[in-house]
Amino acid sequence: MENFKNLPIVKKLGFNRIILVLVLIAMYFVFSLGSGRMLGKGDLMNALNMVDYLGFLALGVTFVIATGGIDFSIGPVMVCAGLIAGRLLVTFGWPLALALVMCVVVGGLFGVLNGILVAYMGLPSFISSMASMMLAKGVGSVFTHVQNSNWPKTGDPNSWYKYFVNYNGFPTGLVFLLVVAIICAIIMNKTQIGRYILCIGSNREAVRLSGVDTRKWEALAYVICGLLAGIAAITYVGVITQVQPGLGDEFNNNAIASCVMGGTSMAGGVASIGGTIIGVFIISLLRVGIQAMGFRPDYQYIITGIIVALAVFADIRSSARKK
Amino acid sequence: MGEVILTMKGIDKSFPGVHALDHVDLEVRKGEVHALMGENGAGKSTLMKVLTGIYSKDSGTITYEGREVEFHNPREAQEAGIVIVHQELNMMNHLTVAQNIFIGREFMKGKLIDDAKMNAEANKLFQQLGIDINPAEKMGNLTVGKQQMCEIAKAISHEAKVIIFDEPSAALTEAEIEELFKIIRDLRAKQLGIVYISHRMDEIKVITDRVTVMRDGGYVGTLITEQCTKDDIINMMVGRVIYEDPKTASTVPPGAPVVLKVEHLNAGKMVKDVSFELHKGEILGFSGLMGAGRTETARALFGADPKESGDIYINGTKVDIKSPQDAVKHGIGYLSEDRKRYGIVVGKTVAENSTMAHLKDFLSGVFIDKKKENDVTQKYVDRLKTKTPSVDQLVVNLSGGNQQKVVLAKWLVRNCDILIFDEPTRGIDVGAKSEIYHLMNELAAEGKSIIMISSEMTEILRMSDRIVVMCEGRKTAEIDIAEATQENIMHAATLR
Repeated sequence: MENFKNLPIVKKLGFNRIILVLVLIAMYFVFSLGSGRMLGKGDLMNALNMVDYLGFLALGVTFVIATGGIDFSIGPVMVCAGLIAGRLLVTFGWPLALALVMCVVVGGLFGVLNGILVAYMGLPSFISSMASMMLAKGVGSVFTHVQNSNWPKTGDPNSWYKYFVNYNGFPTGLVFLLVVAIICAIIMNKTQIGRYILCIGSNREAVRLSGVDTRKWEALAYVICGLLAGIAAITYVGVITQVQPGLGDEFNNNAIASCVMGGTSMAGGVASIGGTIIGVFIISLLRVGIQAMGFRPDYQYIITGIIVALAVFADIRSSARKK
Repeated sequence: MGEVILTMKGIDKSFPGVHALDHVDLEVRKGEVHALMGENGAGKSTLMKVLTGIYSKDSGTITYEGREVEFHNPREAQEAGIVIVHQELNMMNHLTVAQNIFIGREFMKGKLIDDAKMNAEANKLFQQLGIDINPAEKMGNLTVGKQQMCEIAKAISHEAKVIIFDEPSAALTEAEIEELFKIIRDLRAKQLGIVYISHRMDEIKVITDRVTVMRDGGYVGTLITEQCTKDDIINMMVGRVIYEDPKTASTVPPGAPVVLKVEHLNAGKMVKDVSFELHKGEILGFSGLMGAGRTETARALFGADPKESGDIYINGTKVDIKSPQDAVKHGIGYLSEDRKRYGIVVGKTVAENSTMAHLKDFLSGVFIDKKKENDVTQKYVDRLKTKTPSVDQLVVNLSGGNQQKVVLAKWLVRNCDILIFDEPTRGIDVGAKSEIYHLMNELAAEGKSIIMISSEMTEILRMSDRIVVMCEGRKTAEIDIAEATQENIMHAATLR
């Protein structure tokens, strides 16, 4: 095992990520066996639908978790953005392109809010993101008068926004996600933003005493997270068309679970964009697989809960060993 | 003074790399106040930790009430009647006074806690001590002085026979100290044995009966307070050790310009009206005992902590430093005494740490120029002789001395002209120490100006061109190296 870990190729890809991919493949076969049939294209496209929006949420929250913070508002923010932009599109007759931009704007604004609350006003991220979660739910409901936002169906004029998810059966959503993931990986690993975000997560005070404006960089992590929740809203409406007010909590949990599973440390300072994406695949396949095996979807919560607990436990164990 | 209640004989204790206690003796009698004195790191705290079972001793004997004893934890010591009143009070501010005193042994009424009884019992204790505190008051609402009296009451409630006071007066006002002394005299009259650890020479003369002096982990001697002078004690504390190559004269050329001028700096309780000047190419030593306010002065100057008032001039221009960002912008770098917390990001690489304060110089477009970062870091690794397999090594894997060099590299990359070294060689082995000294001298010769805070007399006398001595937040002396002696420094450091 130690030899395997030290192979150059394994080091480059990351041992944990390789294990995760193996887990993913194993899951595919377990579910196929359990459901009595090979999971086919339909199931996988189904899983990909979830990957599309969950992926952007998870990418965003990876930046926040890298600073040592947490954001419980992303799911409701995504839903809120979908609701507001949908109503602007349908009821107020905004052009589709502008409505899509509005999704990102709403997400970004919540990001700015979280950033100010946490970085500049010193609120614990746990609490402040709870507050903005409720704010997002409330704003979405109030703006739509607690009505669904019905985006144009496939085939309607003005339904080209669905191409962000699916173009005549081709999973454009996956490509979109992977391109953004690569950009995120570059931001995280090759730019000043990523460098300072990771350093702040590792030892905020030492970074501050180096004369770095830690508040600015920390706030930026939340802004990135918000913007990505806004982008997630575009793929979310592309997948589900009808946006219901009051939803969104479970997406937080799934996104955070994906992150942690992918090797991003809850303590901050360590983040893996690639790991997050694999985590998203695992969570999405889990949901589809459990349904394929004939269980009610509620079981997914139980299994996700257990997985998150195990992943965090492993994270704590490995950081304890390093000390 | 009554009969002997506690004898520690030949106590020896080593930690990896340090001989912390070298056959130390201490004898405490009933009805005496026994001062335990020594410089920082002389081993006073270690000795008390051995006594109360926090550390186990390597050899030696402890005799208490005529029997040889060995406590394995503070609780055992407490049960036997030996209690420490700590400098840092261990109180829970949200509980009441009585709840704090009886924590862990609450009076019960069935399954419920009997607060009324605890309040009554606490009142009895306070009456015994002749102090006026409401037992139902929340601990957090009391002054530090009153909190300390609660701690004493707690000790009495354990039926203590020996009470150790660890720098009890450090946080107290004059009036509170008076009250404390009244209580201590009272306890002495009740035939308790009292160990009194303090740096304040004047108090020692007022309150203690005998003085035991320690130096560098060793026992120097025990005197009867009445029969000795302050100078006798200071001489015992500093000893007659010949320290290696002390600087004999300042190496700063006369007329070197003032690069930093601090006037009437006030910050919190620990920095009171501090003024000084730093010249180009000078190493300005900051000496003083623990808690003298040197680190606090540096942090206030650097903008790490807020300051109440005071002016700072750099190269003659008044500057406004509100945050470390401002300080760094004006070319000040701070090397903290606590490297792991305030100096380095342990989970990051040597290169990432080295460029942290000046990353914007390593950008090409939006990207970090990794090659430039590595090249420049390598240059400083070579120049400072940092021992690391590569610039990509995580700093956590380096030794203390090499971590210190990484912090230094960070400020040199930023091209800071004023460097504040706070305990530059703490936790660093001897070899690396002289390398750091060498580097500091080199930097000063290049025209960098250095403030060096140090608790080590050797270091102060070896490195400084001029010495500022602080005591309890105030500057008590400024001594040119040509006139500096251990005695006059120690005198100023204990001026209060």
